[in-house]
Amino acid sequence: MSIHFEKVNYIYQAGTPFEHQALKNVTVSIPKGSYTAIIGHTGSGKSTLLQHLNGLLKPSSGHVTVADKEITSTTKNKELGELRKHVGIVFQFPEAQLFEETVVKDIAFAPKNFGKTQEEAEKIAIEMADLVGLPDNILNGSPFELSGGQMRRVAIAGILAMKPDVLVLDEPTAGLDPKGRLEMMQMFEKLHQRQQLTIVLVTHQMDDVANYASHTIVLEKGEVIAAAPPKEVFKNPQWLLEHHLALPKATKFAYELQKTGKFSFDKMPLTEKDLAAAIANSLKRGGN
Amino acid sequence: MEEPIIEISDLSFKYPQQKREALSHLDLTVTSGEWVAVIGHNGSGKSTLAKLVDGLLVPETGTVKIAGVSLTSETLWDIRKNIGMVFQNPDNQFVGANVEEDVAFGLENQGVPREQMIERVRSALESVGMWDFAQHEPARLSGGQKQRVALAGVIALRPKIIIMDEATSMLDPEGRKEIIQLIKNLNQKNGFTVISITHDIEEASLAERVVVIDDGVLVQNDKPENVFQRGAALIESGLDIPFSEKLKNEIKNYGIEVPQEYLTEKGMVDWLCQFISKK
Repeated sequence: MSIHFEKVNYIYQAGTPFEHQALKNVTVSIPKGSYTAIIGHTGSGKSTLLQHLNGLLKPSSGHVTVADKEITSTTKNKELGELRKHVGIVFQFPEAQLFEETVVKDIAFAPKNFGKTQEEAEKIAIEMADLVGLPDNILNGSPFELSGGQMRRVAIAGILAMKPDVLVLDEPTAGLDPKGRLEMMQMFEKLHQRQQLTIVLVTHQMDDVANYASHTIVLEKGEVIAAAPPKEVFKNPQWLLEHHLALPKATKFAYELQKTGKFSFDKMPLTEKDLAAAIANSLKRGGN
Repeated sequence: MEEPIIEISDLSFKYPQQKREALSHLDLTVTSGEWVAVIGHNGSGKSTLAKLVDGLLVPETGTVKIAGVSLTSETLWDIRKNIGMVFQNPDNQFVGANVEEDVAFGLENQGVPREQMIERVRSALESVGMWDFAQHEPARLSGGQKQRVALAGVIALRPKIIIMDEATSMLDPEGRKEIIQLIKNLNQKNGFTVISITHDIEEASLAERVVVIDDGVLVQNDKPENVFQRGAALIESGLDIPFSEKLKNEIKNYGIEVPQEYLTEKGMVDWLCQFISKK
């Protein structure tokens, strides 16, 4: 299910002294089945864009197409119910939204709301808990006694229980330790591979973009300034510097090596593995 | 002669209803003006240690001395004047309606006269680069700015020790850099003793010493470069593996012999250049 933005403008508090245009003439696509990273500074419009993906915000002008459904400024909220089953959004610190007595009940809340019976909903909940790697022995306990990382998994399982085709993640690893971060990113990768979920990841971590994303959208002050695969986006360090964007660590290191004049890379490596391969190649071949 | 500012000996603590000790017979001395990073996985006892040092928890065994004074229920309030803490979530620690009032809160509590208070709020906000925002509403600041204000609130009280309990973990990379740079200044220029509890490798690498706590036990207390030699095991201690270590491991897979000792990224570049020149 692809998503397309066509000349989308969004203005907060239009017609007041606080008027602020958060999206400017945005025309961009999120390809079906892709792992799309959205990057850009705080205030660049990432969150505003994200809320258009399931109609939480509607364009001030222009339109967004999601699964053949066109959303414009005049679309009624009740037309959006079906769409919201297709696009699940995991907001920042989603564990703050947990509320039920047990883990299973919390995950089962959405499917029950969308018309499943208690039994069906709990069956889905147990499947989803397994999918996000929660151990069986915590399912009937309170979600509030779990660690931060596990609470976040419960919240994500709750979104997955709606069986969306598109999973939208707004900085899903913020506040986790490096191990928790790695495990969380590997879990999304698995969901992307095995469940064929389209993933939209809003992130500040360029290494995550390099390691996982197949497509990148770069926002600046409400405008799309690039939409291309990561290797294209990270090809030009000068351009990134001008737009105050960081390079993945491996790419940055490769540029440092190149500056010494002793190494040169035909294709700039994005990940440690690519970098190590390129270095090993140069070492075996001998210097420049 | 460098004086010890924190002296911890044989410190143990157990939370009620838990079998295992959260902290077990820990000894640690921190010198005045030092910057010490404390690392360990979640639940390893790092925050428990911070709370014991600030007297928020009472130990089962052992003693804590701050600037030569033993921490007891009598000395608690005086000792706390020596310690400022900054926590993880910047949104949880604001009380004032604007930045200036928020920074003044602690001073009001200590009954500092108004003339002095105005001066100290101003100099604290200037030292974190937030004086221009004195009249702003804290809620409307970015994460990094909020933590700078929280730090100003601590600095205004002129403690000897600043404890940062994962104070950068919720910030974006830019906000994190701002705060780390600021801690560096406060430590080097203003002579604050800094204890930073952290999962951030860059933050840890700037400290003079890294203390590793695992399941309540102090397992290593050494310079960053020696601790970073733990390589892949670091991730179990709640830190990321340094980039240069990851790269070294990957290169080793190609049958290339790599140095045993920890190399910084610059050290890694130098080593690679030497290696290729010898060919």
